[in-house]
Amino acid sequence: MEAESEFKEYYAKNMRGISGWFKARVYTIERWLYAAHRITGILIVLFVLAHFYSTGWHPGLWWDALLGIIVTFHTANGIRLILAELGFAVGKPLLIKKPSQRPVSIEGVQRYVVVFALVLFVVLAAIWAYYALVVQPMMG
Amino acid sequence: MASEEAKEYVLPPEVLEETMKASEELWKPVRKIKFRIYKYNPRKDYAPYWEEHELEVSRGMTVLDALLIIKGEADHSLGLRYSCRMGLCGSCAMMINGKQMLACQTRVLEAAGSGDVVELRPLDNFPVERDLAADFTSFFEKHRAVKPWIIRNDDVELNNPTGPYKQTVDEYARYYQFTDCIKCGACLSACPTAATDYEYLGPQALAQAYRYIVDTRDNGLDVRISVVDTEHGCWRCHFAASCSDVCPRGVDPAQGIQLLKKLLIKRKFGFKPHKPAEALPAKVKAEKKG
Amino acid sequence: MRESTIMFLHYVTAILIVITGLIHLLANNDPVIGATIKANPVLYLGNMAIFLAALLYHAFNGVRVILIEMVPDRCWTKWISWAILIVGIVTYAVGLQVLMVALGFA
Ligand code: SF4
Ligand code: SF4
Ligand code: FES
Repeated sequence: MEAESEFKEYYAKNMRGISGWFKARVYTIERWLYAAHRITGILIVLFVLAHFYSTGWHPGLWWDALLGIIVTFHTANGIRLILAELGFAVGKPLLIKKPSQRPVSIEGVQRYVVVFALVLFVVLAAIWAYYALVVQPMMG
Repeated sequence: MASEEAKEYVLPPEVLEETMKASEELWKPVRKIKFRIYKYNPRKDYAPYWEEHELEVSRGMTVLDALLIIKGEADHSLGLRYSCRMGLCGSCAMMINGKQMLACQTRVLEAAGSGDVVELRPLDNFPVERDLAADFTSFFEKHRAVKPWIIRNDDVELNNPTGPYKQTVDEYARYYQFTDCIKCGACLSACPTAATDYEYLGPQALAQAYRYIVDTRDNGLDVRISVVDTEHGCWRCHFAASCSDVCPRGVDPAQGIQLLKKLLIKRKFGFKPHKPAEALPAKVKAEKKG
Repeated sequence: MRESTIMFLHYVTAILIVITGLIHLLANNDPVIGATIKANPVLYLGNMAIFLAALLYHAFNGVRVILIEMVPDRCWTKWISWAILIVGIVTYAVGLQVLMVALGFA
């Protein structure tokens, strides 16, 4: 009886749960960035804890390059988020709307900021990979 | 003279013919579409189930039209909510092929795309009332929580108004965009935070909070801070911008929330809220007296 | 603390992490610049102390945000915040100690 009512409650509430965080397919690119930001954030916390508790631990060669991708994504997207969440680069409210107005906060300056963040991510990740794959092995 | 004027308004026959042709074209059945409809009555059913109906649809047919045909001809028990059929009342938002849209503003062929299935579900992250109708109780409660009305300290003026409050077009432009909200719930349903956090105020309520805070007639910034600046307030928005993406009225709640955050941070550093606008002496009265 | 203070610090620490983290990375990975930074233990330790504090604040606040979105119950929210705060402070103390030992300050 108990289990049955819980079962019913699950459907009656109709909450997507954690899978809802990652339901990005039908929405705009910001939703992918949101999901990736969250996942990379959690991965970085896990890495940082390991890095602390056995001091200076890092995963080694190719894994270091992967770590670089995770960290630089979080950095580049984080810069975009700080800008947006402090109210910059999201445009101004409109006085006149077109019949099917697309949101300014997505399709205004924010488009360029997204592209900038992605380019920054690629550049930073490349630099990190260079250090992880070329410079580090030389240093021994 | 009068008959001449009347004549001008009669459509020329070729235009009339063209119009008739176009409307015929618009309502001619073009394709068979399969509708998968979510059926669930939480008071009766053990679990939801799906119902399938096939319908010849025309180019002009909206999802709501199709649903009403299905309700009239195939399944009378189908539960859905609608009222205006023109995107003004905000009753008919539902998941159409996995995305929050107004059933009355979405044409079936547009929703189906190249496929021939249209899947209809009630709004995500809202309790199910029955079938396609969602329960909006908590949604409206959240809206009420941000005090969506003008807050002022001059009770005398409020109770015995002597004239309209002064406001320039620029000041009006700061919040006009957010007044278009029809409370359809699509934004809260699309928000990833709302997928787990049922306490989250949601894009609609927060955008309305911003709308009233920046209204120059209003004096309620400090009152509303205690509502929006909480653990489940505006800081749980992470700018995934899905709310703006699905909003059928171009309200752009994501923008409102980010601007609200900016305002809160500025307030923290001593930024003073605007002085509430003063009442202008009513013109009509003044003229009569003069 | 108001949520806006917490989240504002979240952004400030994010920027701090980018700066101090860069110094930390250069110190350990770049043969030339790293040598100059490491030659100055006060700079290195000071940088590490700020980096550690900012990183821990940012990381644990991030975890707190995710947790209170997962468990939105008001009562739980309070306990989560306190638990995270205590874990964060303890980690910072231990981390600082380890650093000082490693660099021969204690
Ligand atoms: S903001 Fe837009 S999506 Fe949200 S309730 Fe209002 S009209 Fe609907
Ligand atoms: S912008 Fe904020 S409120 Fe809107 S969907 Fe994204 S997280 Fe939710
Ligand atoms: S029926 Fe009113 S908005 Fe669709």
